[in-house]
Amino acid sequence: MKRGAVFLLCLAWLFVTLFPIYWALVTSFKPPPAVNGGPTYLPWIDFQPTLQAWIDAFSGIRGDFVRPFVNSTLIGLSATVLAVAFGSMAAYALVRYTFRVRLLAGVLFALLGIGGFLLFRDLGLSRADSLGAAFVLALAASILANRLPLPGPVLGNNDVVFWFLSQRMFPPIVTAFALYLLYSEIGREGVKALDTFWGMTFCYTAFSLPIVVWLMRDFFQALPVEIEEAALVDDVPRIRIFLEIVVPMARPGIVATAMITLGFVWNEFLFALLLTTSDWQTLPIFLSGQNSYRGDEWWAISAAAMIAIAPMMVMAVLLARLMRSGLVLGGIR
Amino acid sequence: MRDPIKYVFIWPAFLTVLLVGLFPLIYSLTVSFQSVRLVPPMPPRFVGFDNYVSLLAQPRFWETVRTTSLIVLCSVACQYVIGFAVALALHARVPGERLFRVSFLLPMLMAPIAVALVWRMLLHSTVGPINHAFTAIGLPNLPFLTRADWAIASIIIVEIWQWTPFVILLMLAGLQTLQADIYEAAALENASAWRQFWGITFPMLLPVSAAVVFVRIIESFKIIDTVFVLTGGGPGTATETLTLFAYQEGFKKFNLGYTSALSFLFLLVIMVFGVIYLTLIRPQIEKRI
Repeated sequence: MKRGAVFLLCLAWLFVTLFPIYWALVTSFKPPPAVNGGPTYLPWIDFQPTLQAWIDAFSGIRGDFVRPFVNSTLIGLSATVLAVAFGSMAAYALVRYTFRVRLLAGVLFALLGIGGFLLFRDLGLSRADSLGAAFVLALAASILANRLPLPGPVLGNNDVVFWFLSQRMFPPIVTAFALYLLYSEIGREGVKALDTFWGMTFCYTAFSLPIVVWLMRDFFQALPVEIEEAALVDDVPRIRIFLEIVVPMARPGIVATAMITLGFVWNEFLFALLLTTSDWQTLPIFLSGQNSYRGDEWWAISAAAMIAIAPMMVMAVLLARLMRSGLVLGGIR
Repeated sequence: MRDPIKYVFIWPAFLTVLLVGLFPLIYSLTVSFQSVRLVPPMPPRFVGFDNYVSLLAQPRFWETVRTTSLIVLCSVACQYVIGFAVALALHARVPGERLFRVSFLLPMLMAPIAVALVWRMLLHSTVGPINHAFTAIGLPNLPFLTRADWAIASIIIVEIWQWTPFVILLMLAGLQTLQADIYEAAALENASAWRQFWGITFPMLLPVSAAVVFVRIIESFKIIDTVFVLTGGGPGTATETLTLFAYQEGFKKFNLGYTSALSFLFLLVIMVFGVIYLTLIRPQIEKRI
């Protein structure tokens, strides 16, 4: 009796979850009259399915979706590779070494960054130049300051991880808009950053890094230290230990992290909306455009939505398989 | 260990986040104290807190704060309750658990833009199946996306549909960390399932719950894509969220100083909500443990 109720609850939620996906799939095979004449539910019974929407989509007469698809894939894969590489390196260092950052050095960075920017600009440098100069100045000064025995609290590894994570708490419009301003300033100097592959890749790398560092740190913490210590005694350099021992051992974790990162980049909308205009538009931007000028051609919209969803559905199956091996559990703690 | 190699490991990540993520904020913070317009072009002029003051005096700003908070609070509350219930059900080893798990994961991996497009079809007044079902059982045809209160409700429903999987995933992981022997002891004392839940499961999972709800609140405040496609902020500005408002100001009017000020006010709103939430939840967690 109790098990029956539980099973029914699961079935009900399964229906809620799958119905919208089913609807998009079915609608993409409908001929226009089957859509506009009120809802139809079952292919071959309610309506005669047609491949027209898919043929239209792939022949490109309803807006060229191949290009956004390729863009999304290229940007997604390269940002994922960079973020996972940089992020696992940082996470590894945060597990195996201790870092000390003086709070005052951090404050100094912020103050010198703002002050230096305003000062250089008043001295007559362009805005992008003064930003660059202020960045270098502030960074150099705070690295030096970190070596001095300054008063005030000293931050440890956990604070560094928190610093990475606090990135995710910012509303993205704050950083996205700031990045848009910065990119257009750089563009005025002759280096195109808006609507380019590198601009998008760097932006997504930076915004995926916090999650990667957070997840990978847990995976690395779960690894046994002994093998690494044995290798250290044999004077194997750290880089080789990392690449040849640690990375292979943490492979399932790296794969899971990479999939989560790829999903994040693939679905991201706001940064792409602000930072791309035409050449490097990603799939979500293309989809929202479909919505405004395809109006009520629901069969075409459904096909486009299915194309954006399909890769992630494959990933869900793969992720669920990893999840069963208790992987995600480690990542949550 | 003093080993210079550790800097080789951490600097690429550190520098990328600093350069792309944080440093632009310094620039946009200075812009927020200026009057900068791109259309029509106007040289930047220092205006102090003018941008902030005029925003705070604008009713539209407070309306977006209200709309966003309403969407966040309602959807996160429902996500938590439904997600926890489904996680408990899955944990009770229902038949076909594997299929359920994979399917329940799907919505959160889909692009919010695609999800919103699909729901726009579902909620459509004439061709959508939901209204079709409503009329079939005698209910009126509801104006889901064209009347203010229904439009907000629709956004909340879509948010629940997409993000309940996140709660299911994490609560299920939390449930799996609980030891079985506590329940055996409770079963010996003939405690009902209901009392076992409130006496053991819920308090033990309170830290996980607090973290899950916190993440969902922070993430939900950022909402733009769903609203962008589903209602475009309409009817009127009834469903305009903070991010959408900032986007409209920045990219329709190109009033850069104003938009920068708006985004920093937005940061403040999130921080206020975060601090309130943490001060409310912390004594609860400490009390129970």
